[in-house]
Amino acid sequence: MRRALRIAVAAAGGFALAVAQSKLQRPAPVLPIPPRAKPPPATLPPNPVAAIPLQRSFGWGFAFALAGAAAGVLLLCYAVAALLLVGVGLWGTNIPFVWGFDLINYVWWIGIANAASLFAVILVLRRHGLRTAVNRFAEAAALAAVAAAALYPILHLGRPWLFYWVIPYPATFAVWPQFRSTLVWDLWGIMSHVVVTSLFWYTGLIPDLATMRDRAQLRGRLAAARLYGLFALGWRGSVAHWARHQAAYRLVAALVLPMLVSAQSIVAFEFATTLVPDWHQGRVPLHVVATGIPSGLGVVLALAVVLRGTLGLARFIDEDDMELLARLMAAASLACLWLYLDELVSAWLEEDATRQATAARVIGPYAALWWGGLVLTTLVPQLLWFAHIRRSAPAAIAIGLGAAAGVWLDRFSLVAGGLLHDHMPRIGPAYAPTTPEWTLLLGTAALFALMMLVFARLIPVVAMYEIRHEESEAEAP
Amino acid sequence: MGGTSLPRLADLDTRPGRRTVLRAAGASLALASAAGCGPEEWGDPLHALPRGVAAEDATYATVLDLEGIGRGVLVRTRAGHPVKIEGNPDHPGSLGATDPFLEAAVLSLHDPARSRTVRRAGRVPRGAAATTPDAAVEALRGEGLHILTGPVTSPTVARLVEAVRTAHPGVRWHAWSPLADEAAEGTRRAVGEPVAILHDPARAACILALGGGLLDPGPAQLHHARRWSEARAAGRESGALPALIVAESTPSLTGTKADRRLALPPQEVDALARAVAADLGLPVAGTHAEAAPIAAALRRAGPAALVTAARGQPASVHALALAMNLALGTVGTTLHLLPPLHTPADGTLADLAQAIAAGTVQRLLILDSNPAFAAPAELDLPALLARVPVSVHAGLHVDETALACAWHVPLAHPLESWGDSRAPDGTAAIRQPACAPRIATARSAEDLLAALAGLEQRGEALIRATWPDLDDEAWRIALEAGLIANSAPPPRAATLAASFDPGPPPPPAQGLVALFAPDPHLWDGRFASDAWLQELPHPLTKQAWGNAALVAPADAARLGLADGSEVLLSLAGRTIRTPVIILPGQAPGVVTLPLGGGRRAAGDVDPAIGLDAYRIRPAATPWAAPGLDLDAPDSARVALVRAGWHHPADARDPPMARSVAPGAAIPPLPPQPSLYPEWSYPGRAWGMTVDLDTCIGCNACTIACQAENNTPVVGAEEVARGREMHWLRIDLHTETDGGGTFQPVPCMHCEKAPCEIVCPVNATVHDHEGLNVMVYARCIGTRTCSNNCPYKVRRFNWSGYARAPGAVPVRNPEVPLRPRGVIEKCTYCQHRINAATTHARLEGREIRDGEIETACQRACPTRAITFGDVNDPDSAVSRAKREGRNYALLGELGTRPRTTYLARIRQGEPGA
Repeated sequence: MRRALRIAVAAAGGFALAVAQSKLQRPAPVLPIPPRAKPPPATLPPNPVAAIPLQRSFGWGFAFALAGAAAGVLLLCYAVAALLLVGVGLWGTNIPFVWGFDLINYVWWIGIANAASLFAVILVLRRHGLRTAVNRFAEAAALAAVAAAALYPILHLGRPWLFYWVIPYPATFAVWPQFRSTLVWDLWGIMSHVVVTSLFWYTGLIPDLATMRDRAQLRGRLAAARLYGLFALGWRGSVAHWARHQAAYRLVAALVLPMLVSAQSIVAFEFATTLVPDWHQGRVPLHVVATGIPSGLGVVLALAVVLRGTLGLARFIDEDDMELLARLMAAASLACLWLYLDELVSAWLEEDATRQATAARVIGPYAALWWGGLVLTTLVPQLLWFAHIRRSAPAAIAIGLGAAAGVWLDRFSLVAGGLLHDHMPRIGPAYAPTTPEWTLLLGTAALFALMMLVFARLIPVVAMYEIRHEESEAEAP
Repeated sequence: MGGTSLPRLADLDTRPGRRTVLRAAGASLALASAAGCGPEEWGDPLHALPRGVAAEDATYATVLDLEGIGRGVLVRTRAGHPVKIEGNPDHPGSLGATDPFLEAAVLSLHDPARSRTVRRAGRVPRGAAATTPDAAVEALRGEGLHILTGPVTSPTVARLVEAVRTAHPGVRWHAWSPLADEAAEGTRRAVGEPVAILHDPARAACILALGGGLLDPGPAQLHHARRWSEARAAGRESGALPALIVAESTPSLTGTKADRRLALPPQEVDALARAVAADLGLPVAGTHAEAAPIAAALRRAGPAALVTAARGQPASVHALALAMNLALGTVGTTLHLLPPLHTPADGTLADLAQAIAAGTVQRLLILDSNPAFAAPAELDLPALLARVPVSVHAGLHVDETALACAWHVPLAHPLESWGDSRAPDGTAAIRQPACAPRIATARSAEDLLAALAGLEQRGEALIRATWPDLDDEAWRIALEAGLIANSAPPPRAATLAASFDPGPPPPPAQGLVALFAPDPHLWDGRFASDAWLQELPHPLTKQAWGNAALVAPADAARLGLADGSEVLLSLAGRTIRTPVIILPGQAPGVVTLPLGGGRRAAGDVDPAIGLDAYRIRPAATPWAAPGLDLDAPDSARVALVRAGWHHPADARDPPMARSVAPGAAIPPLPPQPSLYPEWSYPGRAWGMTVDLDTCIGCNACTIACQAENNTPVVGAEEVARGREMHWLRIDLHTETDGGGTFQPVPCMHCEKAPCEIVCPVNATVHDHEGLNVMVYARCIGTRTCSNNCPYKVRRFNWSGYARAPGAVPVRNPEVPLRPRGVIEKCTYCQHRINAATTHARLEGREIRDGEIETACQRACPTRAITFGDVNDPDSAVSRAKREGRNYALLGELGTRPRTTYLARIRQGEPGA
């Protein structure tokens, strides 16, 4: 059963199956999730989380997954090279459907990134118990998703090598960017997102990097110790360090919070500020921000299940954590259902052009996308309210990734379907993605997977200091 | 470098999407080493003009023929290259306007796929002596010589044929066109002898167009359209608009402008003509339900009435139309009778086929004619040509006839050779070369005939010899003016033949009727190698890169057909397979088969493009053939390439193309608030109006814009993806009855341009005169501007269309070539504005109104487009914008477009 799950996991996410081959780890049953049992600390092996990155070998399965992801990234390199050499004519875009997978995938990845870090930030700020379990990889997932997303705004340009013209620098010919353009706002949005998300992730990582440094030194791996030590910034674990770290960590987390809303909204402004009837609605930013949450939570949920299963972390990401995550996701989906209903109702109340444009999206040639998004994002996750479903690992993975796919369909429906009925309704060729576009999507998914694999290989996937803190709290009288 | 190297060059580009363009437009690399006239390297200018071309520009007046009839043009050349064709305002055949065929002539001149070498048996012979055209001419000397030409109005060609006759007694001359109909026979039945008819709708109050045709493509389209628009303008002034009643079997441009349109099968058009004629008192019998009110409307108009019969109508309808005009007394007001313009030949193609079959043809010279492709299939011309011992074909391309003949001689392009021809009113004009011959071996038809006649003269001397009355001064004046003044024959009078008999009516149709019609852009097939014309969307079906059989919606529903369904069409035992397009307004029971597609050998054009209706065209009934068998054996559908924009009827309210009742006005929009500050334009402010009342959707503006602005050709695959690049598209707003309104949509140059505020890099901005300018060098290709343009007039270079190998090999050096990845769009011909501004400044004066004409405006045969300074209250454009029917497209969005439209005027249905 466990082997079957592993295969399923590897097939679904391509993620770190082989880490489970680790001989150091304690075997942990995954299915069904056992009732929470707190064995006395003395029986635990010395911190398996820290031991994982220091293993010499992760086994053939990890190598296999890493090779798969690396091959995917090579494919991405090929797609990017082809794009730069041949141009965006490779895509299925046209007039008026000038944007295709470039914007669809961009908005989608940003949504995942935002929801994942939103989730992590809220946990940090609320000092929620769940944060020990999922924070680290939620942040890592956010960072990987931002990296995948950040490729698109550059690659989507007709002349990508000139992307820096969007940056206000004192050019010799004194031309400045058009500051009224949402695309310029978006540059700041995505750049801030990259900086703050990585800062957030890195700040939380510093004490653990120090731990890794020390353990690597204990094992006599001096090169690894130096590397970890470099990034640990001389952390010694003094009280002053801890105080400043906690202040900084919470400060960065607070920084992330408004930006998550703003970054997503700015992306949505690229649509909402145009004259296109279906896009030109005040509700679009809310829709984009809110529907992004189930997709990010879905990815985090799926990752949590995978990590639990493959890294044997059931002790740290326990059943209560999973329950909480699943319920959160179901609740977010329920909110999205309300937004979908709002879309229909506000279209009904809007003027003719908007009403017809929304109708074209909902019942037109791209209707399957809209309905697919509705079902996968809002209806299917409602199954998570049932305990036996949310406790089933395959179901959780399927529902989580399904929600991400559903939001992808929603983005497709927005970018392409929103243009179906413009101010000058027309009969003409529509948009359909081409192989180079699918290759690019696959490539960025591989990039995401590769970053997560490297993360699992090099860095503690669960915040060790938080666990120590939690366990010491539990032991305290 | 010969044509043989082209496929290799084409293969260099592995992207299938570019293949068709490569085949059609050829490789410009081939051009680089070709003999030519001026710098072969055009450069790829983006920031500045290429060196050396700016200083030398010149314009030549000359004349280009269609069906032998001349339309005067002005050829603008740059550094020796003809780059743009414009109408010669003084020439009665063009009146300053152009049609798509004229505009495309610069491209066919530069076509790298043009024939460059003499061929024997389809191959380039060895040995220098054998490769000159003289060898072919020598082979023609002897007994049994026949000459086949197209229709000829040229006095020089007629004179030279006589000279050949003197040198070779017994020579027989056959003049033939696949699109010649029985008009001459019809006029003979009406007035006893064949006459040429010149319609002059300028003074018409009521027009009955039998079979459409008046405003449709053809040698007299420009004349008709301009004169009709004048009648329309006068009618708008006086309040009495001319009525246009159209009875036609298949929708046409004329039909879309009709006040009343009747969709009738061909035999009913004849019946209606008889019934109206009977009502007008002519000695014919016939009844038709619609006849009485139409006759009453014509009678009311009296001498200001006009009855026209379209190309392809039977002799009876031509006869009836002329008889009705005579009965109404229109001769002299709306109609002029002229002696036949075409020089009568000894016979036609059928006689030649008979002679070949009888074995009397020993030698055959085919001048610029393609019978192996366009002759009725039952004549089996390719097999017959093989039986002629010495056959010489002279043509621009190695076409079907060239491959069937023993010899092929490259023909000089009309833009590089001397000649002459007559306008629709008979005015003669000299055709002078606008550049040095691009192909050394090519000969003009005149030179070939002169060589055959043993004359020493060539080129200019031949033409001058035809016009001995013109002394040096008069000759120079004729060349400069582009016509020979007062050379038109005086109009003649005619009376109805005493025993007037229009001839028997066509037989009642059994089953479907096949209606053969010239393709609006390929004509009889001769323009199939022209990439501009191939990519130009058909005015009504919006199909590009191909054609299809047109069926009526009722027939399609009965037979279970949809757009693109493949059907087998059989006529008298011959079958073709073709996709269909369902066309509203098509008469039930009629299937229209456009001619000219499916060329098997036309330069580098893909032979798979279009259907070849000649394969089933019967010799006896070449225009309307009853007994068509339509079979849809399988439910196969092909993806039709449709460009342009087709709008569903009543897509929005108010409609995009608006109509008003005569005298009615469109209420102006309430003032629209804006967050952004108002800009003032203290100097000039450019604006444009497009008059939907006179636009006939002829596509001349679209292709003129393409030629002027180096707009690239993208090929069938890219058009199918929705990536056509035409800066000026013509939207068609169809109505269910087959009518429709054309709406040319260039950039609106909005004062509150939505495109400008979304561009992150300021690549599209306003200038001080209100132009919405596009800075190509600054564009990074986000395409956001297109998203925010409600008119969707912006185009994107998905590939390096203009600069890739195989791109269109003719360029206007004044306009930069856009690289891959940038947006482009209509500039209001900014370079023309700049040139006129500079010119005026040099002369120390202000720009005069009308001094700047945009390319689209210059081409328009109906003067529907007006351009000028909206700050000047007396300018033509300001006057147009003050009209009550002026409105802004999507004006309610607050974009404040500088391009506005004048609504179409719809009057009650006359003759209803």
